[in-house]
Amino acid sequence: MKIIVPIKQILDPSGMTFRRDKERMFINREEYIVDPASKAAIEAALQLKGDDDTLIAISMGLPQADDALREALAMGCDEAFLLCDNAFENADITVTTSILVAAILKLGGADLIVTGHQSADTGSGQIGPRLAEALGYAQVTDVSAMSTEDGVLQATRRWGTAEAAYATVEAVLPAVVAVTPEAFPPRYAHGARIMSAYRDWDVPVWDMAYLGLDEAALAPLLAFRREGFPPPLEVGERFHGDPADVAQEAVMALKLQKLIG
Amino acid sequence: MDFSFPKEYQLFRRMVREWVENEVKPLAKVIDREHRVPHETIKKAARLGLMGVPFPQKYGGMGGGEIGYCILMEELGRACSSTGTVIGAHTGIGAMALYLDGTEEQKQKYLVPMAQGTAIGAFGLTEAQAGSDAAAIKTTAVRDGDDYVLNGAKVFITNGDIADIITTMAVTDPALGAYGGITAFIVETDTPGFSIGSLENKMGIRGSSTAECVFQDVRVPKENVLGQFGAGFLTFMKTLDIGRASLGAATLGGAQAAMEASIQWAKAREQFGAPIATKQSIYFMIADMAIDIEALRSLIYRTAWLIDSGQPHILEAAACKTFGSEVSHRCIDRAMQIHGALGYSRDHWIELGWRDQRISEIYEGTNEIQRIVIAASLFRPHGLRIPT
Repeated sequence: MKIIVPIKQILDPSGMTFRRDKERMFINREEYIVDPASKAAIEAALQLKGDDDTLIAISMGLPQADDALREALAMGCDEAFLLCDNAFENADITVTTSILVAAILKLGGADLIVTGHQSADTGSGQIGPRLAEALGYAQVTDVSAMSTEDGVLQATRRWGTAEAAYATVEAVLPAVVAVTPEAFPPRYAHGARIMSAYRDWDVPVWDMAYLGLDEAALAPLLAFRREGFPPPLEVGERFHGDPADVAQEAVMALKLQKLIG
Repeated sequence: MDFSFPKEYQLFRRMVREWVENEVKPLAKVIDREHRVPHETIKKAARLGLMGVPFPQKYGGMGGGEIGYCILMEELGRACSSTGTVIGAHTGIGAMALYLDGTEEQKQKYLVPMAQGTAIGAFGLTEAQAGSDAAAIKTTAVRDGDDYVLNGAKVFITNGDIADIITTMAVTDPALGAYGGITAFIVETDTPGFSIGSLENKMGIRGSSTAECVFQDVRVPKENVLGQFGAGFLTFMKTLDIGRASLGAATLGGAQAAMEASIQWAKAREQFGAPIATKQSIYFMIADMAIDIEALRSLIYRTAWLIDSGQPHILEAAACKTFGSEVSHRCIDRAMQIHGALGYSRDHWIELGWRDQRISEIYEGTNEIQRIVIAASLFRPHGLRIPT
């Protein structure tokens, strides 16, 4: 089985502070990390991967996304490819999809594509479904458990809006799976693989020409206007007084709103 | 001149830091209180290749060299000195002696499982009457057929009671003294005649065990002579020389933790209407910590680089251990002062760090011995021999 995991490198959110009063985001520490959802996707793929399976990580990003791919190799991926070109700079979700699809097709397609359900920075949650549509593969999103047998994927996903309702879905491969990050806490990379990731292995860089992409394919549909904070939430109810009384009132209020049982 | 860590080491540090934060730090107070070795952590470390960081991959190690090993020890020192001590005695001196002086057969038989963490190592040198005066050891090894028979007792052996393999120094010829009369042996602890005496009741690093190791007619095959026969003194000096750098790295981690805790506390604690971080007496203490830590950090990793690039490093490694232990002493002590009464509470981390730190000025060659090593190294080119 050939498994491809598209991963994303993001700015570490813990290095940023958001000041609503200044209407600005401050980057205190500019550090790049593998998006947690991507790491979960790698973990999910590693759990599924048998000895005869190949796991390939790809990433569309800036040159430093090479580090994210090295981390993927260290975790256990067999190969990694960086999709990088100045022309990718203004990519929106449709362009990113085109680039990833071009790379996937260049790799001869896959039996299974595993992505994170939602990234920690843009959080559109669209990559999985968009890849499936573009490639004509089956898709299952928000997956918390999965297995494959004889070309069929079995995946458990949340069902409806109830808290603990799940459904097990079957899909004939090839399929795209978008995993729930919490369900796949990523493993620590083995030290020897960390050393080898930079010393012994290569991460080829594929550019626009190599991927056979033209300017039309790289033209974004979305234009970025500005960044801003959402409008402030309305202040809730305040309770004052003796702590025991306040506790009673607060519980009653929550019960009336059906927030607790 | 590029002072930045190569990328594989940056990734390694990030992985180790996260692993330590999640798997090691939560147990720090627990193993101190329960006075036990964190075996579960050792197993987890082995699974990630962390029990053989400096050794080449062909010997089952991680291929991280001394730089990688110092990174591990620093991150461990930042969270739990006990865990650092267990892994340090195993890798840094127990297994290291085998790496430096073992034959290929010995390395395949003993170093590989130690590097993989399936066998635990210890270093058996110190005796009741032979601490700083290491050459005064009295454990004997007498040839009998194809074996050597060891008799004696070692004390203060870290990991002594959990080790599978102890690199042991014994006297093979009392007449020849230190040079020529001492030989290193690889002793498997399940050999009949080997037993554990008492375990030390220590002020700190209580999550590591420090044992008395008794040898009563312990038969060691002649194949287990480590290094040149009679040159045991050189074997253990070489091993301890290198071990010092990583010990310094562990103290760097402890000092770093003390400074970080002090910064957090000084920001949070308000007295006289403002955070105490704004009071000069406090921020001067923290600034002094930072100066020491910067200097120590540069010293540690430059020394690790000297070791990895095969350059002389005896003076630098001794300086790492001496300066590191004294820096961490100052930093953790000032951290306790900054934390005030809270620092004195057993419910807080500082007192654990304070108790754990003190041994670093004593073990692995007291700081007094280190100064002799440094002085000897300085005067040797001038033709003056400083006696140990």
